[in-house]
Parts: sequence; C-alpha cells; structure tokens
Amino acid sequence: MAKVSQIPNLDNSPLNLRSLREQSQRELVNILKNVRGKKCLVIDPKLSGSLSLIIQTSVLMEYGVELRHLSADPLETDISKIIYLVRSQFELMKFISSQVHNDISKGLQREYHVYFVPRREVVCEKVLEEEKVHHLMTIGEYPLYMVPFDEDVISFELDCVNKEFQVDGDTSSLWHIAKAIHKLESFSGLIPNVRAKGRCSVRVADILTRMQTEEPVNSHDMGIPEINTVILLDREVDMVTPMCSQLTYEGLIDEFFHINNGSVELDASILGAQQQEGKKMKHPLNSSDKLFKETRDLNFEVVVQVLRQKATSMKEDYAEMTSTNQSVSELKDFVKKLNSLPEMTRHINLAQHLTTFTSKQSFLARLNMEHTIVEAESYDICFEHIEELIHKQEPLISVLRLLILFSVTNSGLPKKHFDYLRRELLHSYGFEHIATLNNLEKAGLLRKQESKSNWLTVKRALQLVVEDTDTANPNDISYVFSGYAPLSIRLVHHAIRSGWRPMEEILRLLPGPHSETKRGGFPHSASSESMSVAGGRVADGRRSLVLVVFIGGVTFAEIAALRFLSAQEGMAYDVMVATTKMISGNSLTESYVEKLG
Amino acid sequence: MANVSVAAEWQLLINRYYRKPEIYQMRWKHIDLSRNKIACAPFGGPIAVIRDDSKIVQLYSESALRKLRIFNSAGVLLSETVWKHPGGRLIGMSWTEDQTLICIVQDGTIYRYNIHGECLDPNYSMGKECFEQNVIECVFWANGVVCLTEAGKLFCVMDFKEIKSFKLGDVGIEAEEELPHCMAVIDPQYIASGNVRVLLGIGEGIVIVDEDEVTHIEGEKVQGPVQKISVTRDGNWLACFMHDGRLVVMNMNFEALFQYQCESALPPEQMVWCAMDSVLLYWDDMLLLVGPSSEDSVRYIYDEPVFLIAECDGVRILSNTSMEFLQMVPDSTVSIFKIGSTSPASLLFDALDHFDRRSAKADENLRLIKSALPEAVEACIDAAGHEFDASRQQTLLRAASYGQAFSSNFERERIQEMSKTLRVLNAVRNPEIGIPLSIQQYKTLTAPVLIARLINAHQHLLSLRISEYLGMNQEVVIMHWACAKITASSAFPDAALLEILLDKLRLCKGISYAAVAAHADKSGRRKLAAMLVEHEPRSSKQVPLLLSIGEEDTALMKAIESGDTDLVYLVLFHIWQKRPALEFFGTIQARPLARDMFITYARCYKHEFLKDFFLSTGQLQEVAFLLWKESWERGRNPMASKGSPLHGPRIKLIEKSHNLFAETKENTFESKAAEEHAKLLRIQHELEVATKQAIFVDSSISDTIRTCIVLGNDKFASKVKTEFKVSEKRWYWLKVFALATVRNWDALEKFSREKRPPVGYRPFVEACIEADEKGEALKYIPKLADPGERAEAYARVGMAKEAADAASQAKDGELLGRLRMSFAQNTAASSLFDTLRDRLSFQGVP
Repeated sequence: MAKVSQIPNLDNSPLNLRSLREQSQRELVNILKNVRGKKCLVIDPKLSGSLSLIIQTSVLMEYGVELRHLSADPLETDISKIIYLVRSQFELMKFISSQVHNDISKGLQREYHVYFVPRREVVCEKVLEEEKVHHLMTIGEYPLYMVPFDEDVISFELDCVNKEFQVDGDTSSLWHIAKAIHKLESFSGLIPNVRAKGRCSVRVADILTRMQTEEPVNSHDMGIPEINTVILLDREVDMVTPMCSQLTYEGLIDEFFHINNGSVELDASILGAQQQEGKKMKHPLNSSDKLFKETRDLNFEVVVQVLRQKATSMKEDYAEMTSTNQSVSELKDFVKKLNSLPEMTRHINLAQHLTTFTSKQSFLARLNMEHTIVEAESYDICFEHIEELIHKQEPLISVLRLLILFSVTNSGLPKKHFDYLRRELLHSYGFEHIATLNNLEKAGLLRKQESKSNWLTVKRALQLVVEDTDTANPNDISYVFSGYAPLSIRLVHHAIRSGWRPMEEILRLLPGPHSETKRGGFPHSASSESMSVAGGRVADGRRSLVLVVFIGGVTFAEIAALRFLSAQEGMAYDVMVATTKMISGNSLTESYVEKLG
Repeated sequence: MANVSVAAEWQLLINRYYRKPEIYQMRWKHIDLSRNKIACAPFGGPIAVIRDDSKIVQLYSESALRKLRIFNSAGVLLSETVWKHPGGRLIGMSWTEDQTLICIVQDGTIYRYNIHGECLDPNYSMGKECFEQNVIECVFWANGVVCLTEAGKLFCVMDFKEIKSFKLGDVGIEAEEELPHCMAVIDPQYIASGNVRVLLGIGEGIVIVDEDEVTHIEGEKVQGPVQKISVTRDGNWLACFMHDGRLVVMNMNFEALFQYQCESALPPEQMVWCAMDSVLLYWDDMLLLVGPSSEDSVRYIYDEPVFLIAECDGVRILSNTSMEFLQMVPDSTVSIFKIGSTSPASLLFDALDHFDRRSAKADENLRLIKSALPEAVEACIDAAGHEFDASRQQTLLRAASYGQAFSSNFERERIQEMSKTLRVLNAVRNPEIGIPLSIQQYKTLTAPVLIARLINAHQHLLSLRISEYLGMNQEVVIMHWACAKITASSAFPDAALLEILLDKLRLCKGISYAAVAAHADKSGRRKLAAMLVEHEPRSSKQVPLLLSIGEEDTALMKAIESGDTDLVYLVLFHIWQKRPALEFFGTIQARPLARDMFITYARCYKHEFLKDFFLSTGQLQEVAFLLWKESWERGRNPMASKGSPLHGPRIKLIEKSHNLFAETKENTFESKAAEEHAKLLRIQHELEVATKQAIFVDSSISDTIRTCIVLGNDKFASKVKTEFKVSEKRWYWLKVFALATVRNWDALEKFSREKRPPVGYRPFVEACIEADEKGEALKYIPKLADPGERAEAYARVGMAKEAADAASQAKDGELLGRLRMSFAQNTAASSLFDTLRDRLSFQGVP
C-alpha cells in the first residue's frame, strides 16, 4: 500500500483545489527554470513547510536545485547562482543582506535572485536598499497566496494576523486574505453572498468589494458560482474556543505533539517503525489516510473504542480465514483489509501514546478548570487556581492561556486582581514579559474589567454549554469539547442557516462590527435570503459551497465541528474552511509573547 | 458574357494565370519616381519619397532644400518635412514593421521618422567604423538592416526597437574592385540560429556571412559573377541574375533549379519574387515575369518608371500615375471566370446571371451542379474575397448566397464572415485611408496589427469602428485617441478637455485612466492629470501616479482606502523623504494606518527616529518601552558581561524608563515594574559579587529566591523576599520546591513545622511526589485538609485503599471513577472502587 503522502490527495475536494495547487507548482518550477544551470535555493524555513504541501523535494532536485534554509549564518555552497525564496519580512531581509555582505567580504561573486512570497513589497526592498544590496538582486514574485491543507481546508499561512492587527495596527494580512479569496473567485466564480463578523472580517469584505471593482472577476462566463456564500469570522470574536483544550483525536494530537503542515513528528518507536530508539519520524495526517479520515473528528474517548473494535474484527476475520475454506473473493476482501493493517497499527500506537497524556491528573485538572471558567459561575476558585499556577511557575504559555480564557469570559479582571496577577507574573517569569503583558492588554485579552461581562448571556443564548453530551453518538457540535459547543461554529451555523439578521442582538454583544453584502447580478440567489435546503445546487448535482474564513486561525476541533455540521441531514451546503493558519491555544498565545530581553 | 471580360485581362505563364488590376490612380501630382528615392512599406503601408541626392536632377520651381514626403498607398500626402540632416548622402531608407521610417546616411547615422513626418529622438549611429568608412549600401529586412562600408565591412542592426549595431564576419575585402556586385539578406527568423545571414555576390561566386562566420561558395558551383540576388520571403529560394543575362533560381545549397536566358545581359534595376513562385525583373521600360521551371515568361511594357513592392502574395507595382497589384489569379477565381469553364462554381455564377434575367436556365445550371453545390458556393465566397472591385465582390457573394439557398449542408456563417472581412478591407482600401490589403495580406497581418497601424496613422474613428465591428477590445484605440487628443489640444482648457476625454474613456470598461493621466502629466498638463487620475479605479495604478504629480496627501488617502499596505508604504517613504520630520509626523499622526505602518517599520530600523516621533506626539510610555527594551540590548552586548560596571548604564536606562512611565497617568503599573526591575538588577549584582557566581542577573525574582535557597543562602533569600514584598503563599511554594530540588528533606520538614503553612500542605506533598520520595510524601499527605486532595495524593503514591477511603469521605463519584481507571490494572483495587461507587450510587460515570 502506498504510504500516505504529506501532500494531500485533493481528488475529492468540493472545489478544484488540485488545479490551484498545480498552478502553484508550475509557478515555482518556472522560477527555477528561469535561472539556468545549477542553483542554490535558499528558503525561509516557515515557507519550506508550506512548500512541502505543494511540491515534492525530489521534483525540485530535478531542476538542479541545492536546498538551504535561510538563517543568519553565512551561506555555505559552491554554487554561484542563489535564489532566495522568502516571505516579505524584515528579519529575512536582514538575513539575506548579511549573507550577501559575507559573500562580498570573501570576494565571492554570485548571482542573486530574490523571489518574494506572495508579492514584492516596497518596505522589504527599502530594507535591502538601506543594506546596500538591492542593486545586486534580481527581484521577482512567487504568488503563493494559499496552500491546500486538505480536501476541505485551505490555509493562507499567515502567522500572527491577530497580534499584528490588534497590537501593531498592521493590516497587511487583511489585504493578503482578500487577495487570496479574490484569486479563488477567479477559479470558482464571484461569490454572491458575503457575511462578515469582526473588525478584520468586515475590512476584508470591504477590500474584496474594492478588488472586484478594480479587477472584476467575470461572473458571466462561469455560470453558477461554485461558492454560494463566504462567511468571514475574526478569531477575536471567539477567543474562548481556542483557549479550551481540544478533545477530538486530531485536536489532541495537535495539543500534545503539535501538528505541523499536516504532519506530526514523533519518536519512530511510537509509530511502530522498526528503527532505532530516539529517531524522529514524520507521520502525515490528512484525509488520504482513510482510517484517519474516519476518526480524526471523533471525540478521543470514542476513538479508542473504534480502534479497538476494528482490531477485534480483524482478528476475527483472521481466525475465520485460517479455519474455514474461503472463496477467492472473500480472500481478496480480506487481503484488502490486511493492507490497512500498518495504518491501523500506527494509529493504535499513536492513540495509546496519547492516552498516557490524557490520563494524567494534571490534564484532567486542567480540563476541569477550563470547564469551570467557561461555566463562569465560580470566579474565586478560578482566580485562586491561576494564582497557584503562577506561584508554581508552571509553563508560562499554559498559564497565560488559562488566564486569557479567564479574562475573556469575565470581560477583564477587576483592577486589583489584574495588577496583582500581572505583578506575580513578572516576579515569577521575569520583567522582560512586560512586553507580552502589554501586547495582551492592547489585544484586549488580558485587561482591566470595565463593564459587566456578556459571556453568560451569550453562553445561554447560543447554548454553548450542553449538559449530557453523548460523545459516542453526538447530536450536537458540543461533543468536540465534551460539553462545550464552540462559539465560533455556533455563529457560523446561524450564518449559514439564516444570515446575521435574526441574531443581531447577540452579535452586538460580541467584539467588532458585522456586515452582510450581496454581490453581482445573480437573480436566482437573490431569493435565497435564508438559504433554503433546495437553495444551492450546482448544475451537476453537487451541493454548492459555503466558504468559512477564519481570520486569526482555526483549531482542528472547530473544523471537526464544521464537518459534523456539514454532514447533518438538512444541510444544503458543503463546507470549505479557509484559515490564516492552523492554530492551537498554545500557538495562538505564543504569538503574543514578546520578550524584551 | 461578363465572365469573358474578366479573364481577358489575364496573362498565362506556363499553366497559371496572372493579373495585375489597377488599385489606385495616384492622387499625387508631379511626383517622378526616377528623380526620387522611394521607400514603400509592405502590407499596403505608406510611401516615403525624397529627392535622390545621388542623381543629378533638374530643379523646377522648387526649393533646393529637399523635402521628405510621406504618402499613403493611394498617393494622398500624409505629412512632409524638410530634410536637413548632416552626415552625407542618404543611402538607405525603409519602413519597419511598426511603421517607423528608418533613414541611414553615409556616415552611418540612423534617423527615424514616424508616419507623421516627426523625427524621433534619439538618433543612433552604426558605429565608429561606419562613420570612418562611409556606408555605401544598406539592405533591410522587416526589423533590421545590414550596411556595407567602403572598406567592405558589414555592420548589422538586428532590431530597430532596440538599436545596437555590431560587426558581422569579415569577408576580407581589400580593394575597391573586390567590393560585392550585389547583396541580399535572409530574415533572421528563418535561420535556425536566429542570426542574420548575408549573401554577397563577390568575384565569380557567392559569399555567405554570418555573425562570426564567412563561407565561400566557389565560382564553378555558382557560375557567376552574380549581378543581383533576391531571396524569397521564407529564405528558401534564391534568384540570381548572372553577368551573362541568365536568371538562375537555386535552393540554399546553391543547386540550380532552372534558368532563364534574358535578352539583356545588363542587370535589372529591380528584381523581386512574386510570392514564392515567380520572379519579376524590371529594366527601364519593361517588366519581365519569369515563372518557375520553364523558359516561358510574360512581359509588360511601361512608358514610365515603376517601383516594385514585394508582398506575401504578389507584387505591388507603383508608377507615377498608378498602383497595381500583380498576383497569380487564385484558383477559385480561375474556376469561375476562365473562358469556357464548366466548373460547378462557374455554373453557379452563371445561374445567378440567368436568375437575374429570369431565365429558366438558372434552374438547369443548378441541376447540373447537384452535389458539388457546397464546393461551388465555397469557390464563389473565396473568389469574392480576392476581388478588389466592390461590385464584383457583391456579385460573387450573391452567387454564393443564391447557391446556398439550395444547399442544406453548408456552413452559413461563411458568407457572413466573408462579408464582414470585405467590409473591413473595403474600408481601409478607400483612397483616403489608402491601405490596399489583399485578403491574404490581411490574414497574415491580423486585425489587431491593422488596427494598431490605423491608430498610428491617427485614424481613430475608423479603428474604433472596425474593432467594434469585429468585436475586439477597443481599449487600445480609445487609449491612443485620448493621448493623441491631449497632445493635440494644448490650447484647450483643462475642464473642457477632461469632459471630452471622459466622454470617450467611459466607452471602455477597465481602461487605464492612470495611463492617460500619465500622458497628460508628461505633456505638461499636471492639473488635467490630477483630474484624470481621480477616475482610475485601480489604486495600484492611481497611487504611484498621484505621487509623481505631487499629490502626496491624496495619494496617502487613496492608499489607505485601498487597504493595500504596500501602497501605504510607497507613499510613506515618498513623503518621509520629501518633508521635514515634524511635518511628516503631523501627516502620519492624523492617519492611524499610516502611523502604525510607520511604527512597525521604524521599530525594526529607525529606533532613534521612532523615539523622536513618540516624543513629538506625546506618547511617553512608548518611549519608555523603547528605552526599557534598549536596556536588554545593552545587557546582551558581550562587552557588558555580567557583573561589569556596564550594569550602571543599563540600570540608568531602566530608571529613565521608570520616570517616563511615571509622567503619564495610565502607566503606574509599568512605572512600578520598571522601578522594581532596576532594584532587582542592583540586588542581583550585589548577589553576584557576594557569591562570586554570575548566575543571578536576568533571572526573575522567584528564580533568584530559589537560587539563593538552593545555594543554602537563606539570609539573601529572605532579603529578596522582603525587598519585593513576596507573598507568603508564593514564598512557601518557592521554598518547598527549592528544598526538594536539593533533596534537603530535613530542612523541608523543619520548614513545614515553622508555622501552619498559608497554602496548606499540598506544596509539600507535590514536591515530594515529584521527587519520587513516597516516604517523605506520606509525612504530609495525612495533613491535607481536603479529602479529595488526599485521595488523589494517595492514589498518586499507589495506595489504593487509603485513596478509596479518602474518596468515599469526599463523596465524589467522578473522582472515584477516575481513581478506578488509574487502578484498572490492579483487579483487587478496581473492585474496591466499584463497591464504593455502588454504595455511593452515582450515575453517569464511565
């Protein structure tokens, strides 16, 4: 059986993501072809992760490429043609400049090409100019605005959208997002309905409208647009969900081992490979792996059972095989099942390994605390718990994560507590974290209480806490957090079902404005104000699509919840997720951390 | 019959018919080709005429100054200008593909003119050697030229769009007698290497010159001397006129295909290929058409000088009075009009005639044609396409249409399509426009190029109509019109001109207003440019232009509106450079996005400037943060190794930052923190001096306390505790864990007895369990106040029974369930939990 590749198979995607990816492949290959002969491709390490989802390294080698990661160190290679492939970031410009200066000081004459992803930017070229290397460079662009992560997931690969927007007021990412959606529209047709909630989202919707007037997507040649509605949602609107520990299989793997560009890196022994101890191995996690596709979105409690059942039935089949006479076709079926054995073993090992973490008392205590905070009915217990975590100098990120959850659900902390906890944090972790605290305050994630919290109202109105959640046979998205239904997905659900209008009162309690626009002249969609069940069918019988864009990132658990929704009876649309980045509470919290030292 | 008169004008050459209809009577007066140098552009392009300064001519009532005049193909004057360039005689003159007139004079200077008689800047030179040696001959192809100098050297320009002259391979000519008799060039696009190839008739043979290679083809093979060479358009065939009056046609391997003995041994004045199948030679009063592979020929007598213009499908013959087009009669035309033709097409054409005359023979004809009808219709359509005469086009199309009515399986669009094409052709053939394109030339040239040429000739209305008629994008036309209009209307007031321009620009969606505005700006109409650019929807085009016309504030506003931060930066850097700092600060302070983008950039690159900005806008806390950050950078500097006096400046920075924070009302917390930080550094410094260990600086207060305890220095630990008012709670956690780290269990126990711990005994239990000291832990577990906690603790040290007891005391079912899980391996223990749980009768617990 072919090993599951890190590059996901996109054949079953409701959008033509394949051709999108192929275009990106072609564009990259063209860049390599443009520089004749052997060349050294120096990639910004973050970008190289994204590229691993686009093209196989072996393909790059075919074009005479020697691969390097860009860092502050001098470039060690004998090749005289250098291609830098970088995102437009100051730090990377400094790296490039220092490498070039190093070459000059050694008397090396090289040919430098800099390709910016996704486009060249004045400010980066300015840095190169200031460093006096700009004139040595041939500058180009590699317009990679998005990367397909799976059949139904696209990432724009923007790391810190939230932090940049909330703390620095930097909106470059918003333009990027709008551009990416606009690019998608050039494949799939103009999206007639745009619904946005949150400051960034509303701005992106504006820019999108602008782009349509500036460079219109011709809606007439394409017939019915494949995407019926785009729903834009700021992470800022729901900072509660990502701060809760994800309890789906995939979510938990991410929480504990960190999924990076669709694969997780673990000890080879855990994955059941016959290799020496301590060696790390990458394991791709995407829907090309059938067993994973089946289990990734289940609550982890159930996953263990499912895997056990599968193993048992396999055992039984095997027993039958050896004992009785089987027809050839039965044998074939069995062999087919056998083929999935390595996958199954791997997942059983992985799940077992996860269990050792999930059964820890500290993890259970944490879940308990998260639940108490979300319930928002026992302020003092939560406050004392967090205080103790700080005193024990538990890892800063996990403390901050809980603290953010606490502050957000309470609309900030009373001034006394706010100052006290901040002081305890500085005392315990060092004064350099004043910058982190400042960032969190600017972002409104850890702040002084100024008004009464809306959380209880929101929680009740949207039924965020669901008692008696049956994780094995769920009938509500709350199963992904064992009893908490993610706010973000509740909002999306309402937006798909009936648009914003019926729920404006609730929306007003959440951060940022909201907007709803209709675009283009589609008479047939004008009537689908509330998207009825029959509303969205594309000509060939496929369901039409809702694109849900998370600005500031989305967690695996939320995607699981969306998939659950989309599979429900009475749901007229397929759901496609686009996100600025796959995040977990930890990575989101980390993006605000800034040490002065 | 009408048919007869048509064919009567044809001449038969071997087995093919040739015709040369007159296309125009020349509209010009008093132009004598023999007195002038002529350059005619192919594809019915313009004609440039200038008095030939290599001939002695009599001046009538005209100025001694020479005039360069440009006519269209019908002899309508397009423009004229006085020629007064230095550099000696005009040697070569030719039109490029984009209809620029190239003139090369003796000293190798290249002058360029557009169709409006305007000399284009700059002039170019063929190079120093040409200048010294004098150019004596030029041979052009579509976009390039090869020049021969008196010294027998060859120089080449490959592309007039990018004029760069270079020297070709050296033939090694030393004396004047050795100069070539004749010269021809093969268009580089037909040479595999993409380089030009020159053929020279030298001595008895031919010399081939490439960019850096010279090949001699000997006389025995060629049987020269060759007096004149002409190459077919595709570079596959050569026609050579020999010294003895033979015309030899050869392939590129110089193998003769056929030869024809001319009456005159004098080389012809002009010799061109008529399409690919015959050669046309011109002597004084005679044109001789020699066909392939036989000795047959056709001759035409002229009593006036003519000029031959090779086209892809024939030759145009220009005389003082007329323009004719010599071509092989197309097969379709032959089949219809050939005398005695009984082809289906001919019968169909005849049938229409009968039909018009209401003769029953029409029907008879049709019946004769029967199944060949589609073919006949096709032939009529095709023949119509080849006609220059509109009424004959019409008759042929009517015949086709008549036949089509009886034919079921014919693509009906063909007639429409042909009518459309013919309408376009007839429009441009109108003498006022004067572009006599044949249908084949039109197809080779393509409609967009034709439109570009019309635009170039300022025939905007016609080009607009044609592009509209053909369903093509009108953007190019309107754009060019707008620019030309601006250039031509220098006296027009801005507002009025704007209205006129907008009126037309609106016709075309997505047209670039910015490009038109840029042209207005270049024409010195900055105000108009500003008005125009306002209408540009694409900010990426609009903003840079606004900057270039000095509208920075508008540019900034538009950039911000667009949401494109790259544009914001573009404007930002522009303004930054142009304005004094304070004014710059004022500008960006008023616009949050610009301000924030500036800060983001400056944070990385312009710290001092950023400080100025914050100070000037009163954001003291931001300056304080910057200073505080700097203090760490000082710390990281290797010169400031730990414990060195450099801590002094570092602490000073932090104190400065503390003071700045204190000046604002909102930052008391930060101010206090900075103060504490400075104090901490001082104490840590002291500690390092006292302990002679550089391990304190830059660790946190809690860590400092821990380190002190670990080192056994309780006095210092307590000092730090009091200095920073560390709470008892925190103190207990820190001390317990520090003691456990050094496994000082006695001290730990002593500490537990000091007083009743403010956080209970949990820290003690946890520290011992984490250090894996079950015995030590058991000292404290019973002291835990909460039975639940106690149960957990017992469970963690593996004491199931005690855990169960405590849990049941806590009456916590969920806890019991969990404990059961963790003791699952141990059957005895798990049954114990089951019993207990049953007794508590909790439900819903897994």
